[in-house]
Amino acid sequence: MRNLSTFLYEWKHFVRSPFKVIAFLMFLLAAIYGLHNGAKLYKTQLVEIDTIKQKIEKDREENIAFYEAGEKGPKDKLWIDITKPFWAIWLGKTYLFKSPSPGLVYSTGESEQYGFYKQVSIWASTMDSDMTKEIANPERLQIGMLDFSFALLYLLPLLLMILLYNLRSSEAEENFLMLIQVQAASINSWLLSRVIFYMLLTLLSVIILLVYGAMLTGVFSSNSSIFNNLFLYSLLYLVFWGGIYYLILRNGRLIINNTLKMVGIWLLFTFVIPAISLQWISIRKPVNYMVDYIEASRDETRDLYDLPDSIILDRLNILFSEPLKGSEEEKEAKIRKVKRVAFAALANELIKNKVESIEIENESKNHSVRTTYFFSPVTFFQNCFNKVSYSHYDDYRQFREDIQYLIDKQIKVLLKDSWNEVIVDKDKYIDYTKELVKVD
Amino acid sequence: MRDIIKNEWYYLIRNRVLQIVSIGFIFILSLAVYLGEIQSDNQRKQYDVSKKQLRDSWESLDSISPHGAAHYGTYVFKPTNLLSSLDEGINSVAGNVLRVEGHVQNEIVYSESSQMQAVSKFGKLKSSLLLQYVLPLFLLFLAFNSVSSEKQSGRLKLLVLQGERPVKLIMGKVISVWLYGIILMIATVVVHFILNFSTFSTEMAGRLLFFCLSYGMYYFIVSGLTVYFSARWKNATVALTSMLGIWILWTIFLPSIVLSTVDNWHKLPSRNTFQTAMKEDRSKGIDGHNPKDERGEKLKEETLKKYGVDSLIQLPINFDGIRMQADEEYGNKVWDKHFGGLRSVLEKQKKCYQIAGTISPFIALQNTSMGFSGTDNFHHQEFLIQVEDYRRRFIKSLNDEHAFGGSKTGDWSWYAQNDFFKSIPDYEYYSQSLSTVLPNYFLDFIVLIAWTTIVGLLLFFGIKNMRIV
Repeated sequence: MRNLSTFLYEWKHFVRSPFKVIAFLMFLLAAIYGLHNGAKLYKTQLVEIDTIKQKIEKDREENIAFYEAGEKGPKDKLWIDITKPFWAIWLGKTYLFKSPSPGLVYSTGESEQYGFYKQVSIWASTMDSDMTKEIANPERLQIGMLDFSFALLYLLPLLLMILLYNLRSSEAEENFLMLIQVQAASINSWLLSRVIFYMLLTLLSVIILLVYGAMLTGVFSSNSSIFNNLFLYSLLYLVFWGGIYYLILRNGRLIINNTLKMVGIWLLFTFVIPAISLQWISIRKPVNYMVDYIEASRDETRDLYDLPDSIILDRLNILFSEPLKGSEEEKEAKIRKVKRVAFAALANELIKNKVESIEIENESKNHSVRTTYFFSPVTFFQNCFNKVSYSHYDDYRQFREDIQYLIDKQIKVLLKDSWNEVIVDKDKYIDYTKELVKVD
Repeated sequence: MRDIIKNEWYYLIRNRVLQIVSIGFIFILSLAVYLGEIQSDNQRKQYDVSKKQLRDSWESLDSISPHGAAHYGTYVFKPTNLLSSLDEGINSVAGNVLRVEGHVQNEIVYSESSQMQAVSKFGKLKSSLLLQYVLPLFLLFLAFNSVSSEKQSGRLKLLVLQGERPVKLIMGKVISVWLYGIILMIATVVVHFILNFSTFSTEMAGRLLFFCLSYGMYYFIVSGLTVYFSARWKNATVALTSMLGIWILWTIFLPSIVLSTVDNWHKLPSRNTFQTAMKEDRSKGIDGHNPKDERGEKLKEETLKKYGVDSLIQLPINFDGIRMQADEEYGNKVWDKHFGGLRSVLEKQKKCYQIAGTISPFIALQNTSMGFSGTDNFHHQEFLIQVEDYRRRFIKSLNDEHAFGGSKTGDWSWYAQNDFFKSIPDYEYYSQSLSTVLPNYFLDFIVLIAWTTIVGLLLFFGIKNMRIV
């Protein structure tokens, strides 16, 4: 009952303080703006994927028309023979998409750092230049998009600070504390009730914002765990800041001192610690210029062309579980026919090994980032939000792994069918277009 | 005035808390410069090793056709900028590696931020982070009760009764707080100078001068406005909270809101749309690899006529090289058109962002800080143009060798010698001079000067009718 009356009084305090009300409204506006930014990115990516899918569909219809007309391909490109597995797959255009999660509305995470679609071919690699970000203003990327997670991570602690900065200390400065002690029995529980009131007010606004965001991209209909997880992390984050501010207010007597401490802590956790962590990681593990990858994809791949057929054949047999069958003469004749695919297969192995070491190096950087979590809560929550919205580094690494899986699959199918001199008809072509995009 | 400033400084120096905070501040600023320097140095070493490794690969090329070498290509790495240890700007998001090859103009890839998960939204611990975000806040805390405390203690009234002009008093307070910021900034620059003594140049000095000027103006705006609030508002807490509100608005809200809005006003195309349009335009030109191409046929006729022969076999040169160079030149036009379009959108976005400095001087500060450190988008675009120019010269050398090096049309097995490949110069980055950079930040400077003037006028005229108790 006492708590309820404290809440009611606090509500009166709140609505009578224009500074606090304006700060609260500004937070709401920024968060809504952030939600719309996230929703816009989500919709833009969906539209882009849809455009590409339509183009693929159109191209495939044209190719099917070639089969139906008994033609081997476009008349101005006589070297194309669509009945051969190589050209059928080449023209079939296999794409893999990283469909945006509706959770993007909450946190755009690292989605602007990486590509979200990729044309898969036997010569593709997960480090190709088309795997990079969409065309964007680098200064905007550097400053960062104002998304909902930005509002939560940086503005919510500020809002809470503005709402709480003068609790207890204003009474202490006006010598009312003794009077309050007489009325409320315990100053600390009275202060706690007031802090909880503002935390509940903020939490309520966060819930409303989360629901509003969910409606923008259909979070509930697609994956309600996004909402639940984000709510949980938001609650924990709010409790974290509420707890820190409560301790400052409990132990401080002057408004100015409390404000200084709160701003100091906010600066420390949001700016200084993450910045020092990043600088430290960057010094220990400098940016990778990808020279090893470049050399593998260019020089070492080029050296493959000098290999004798017998060695190519041996290497292919080691690579694939199903050995390439036939008599020695047949093998010699066939390897010449499938050489293009054979080189692609061997180059893919070379590149894959280099990519693996790059991924390991990146993972060691990520490991270093994770070790900062226990003293850099903002970094921890930022990555939690990114994970919930499937826009974390790991989600894009998974996307790269899926691409690699499809590259391997395409090479295997192409090599096998080319070796067996499969004649591709309409059904086989359709089969390719369906099978080669499946990530098992 | 000098006595007032002196007096204020005595007060500041005597304050034990401020002494400790100042030492801590100088320490963390020096640490930021030092760490920034180590990081830039590491990156520079990595750059040198990578550059040498790939140049060695190029110089070891032998027995390969010039066109084969054009496909083999080379790579250009983005060098570290002049003052990147002070302000990293866009370096961590903009990519570092650019492939230079025939037929294709590639995009810059492999940014540092794409090589790990998210850590810090505001970048690394560079001096700019402290000078832009933390130091102004500190000035704000120094200034917010500078006048109100004088009012409350009755000292202000006493001073005015003794004949001191309030404006003079207030300006003295502003300047003393402002000087505190300036001293910390200069300490940062001095540490930077000491660490870079061997490579320090007049160009760097000029850039640092403008870097300091823009920070100096911003610190005056923050100090002046806070002292003004302290003088106008009855309560120091109101002055503090109002100024904190303004600081949050200027530094946290507006930069990202403005850039996101500007991005919506002047839209950049999606990669797919951009590439499809480029591909379509490119297909209208000569196909360097297709001898039966119509436009190629026309070029063939012209070349035969020029050499006064009837067939390609009779030509004393290799027509394939000429056709491929014509293909390149057409591709260059397409690149100029499309990438020029992209750059023009980016310039429009930048202009709007610069104009937004009128509502937040922090935006103008951010622009000039990155700009004079050589780490903004203007410098990045200049780097990309330089690489493209290099690519054109590089590919032209190879095509010319293919055409006029001694082979005949259709002879793809003709190889150029190692000496020729060695003779093609490596890419060298030419950093822009201050005189070419300055016009880009003219608007930001005007904005900062305007803000400084407005705050100065506010202090001068707004204080006149201030209540001294």
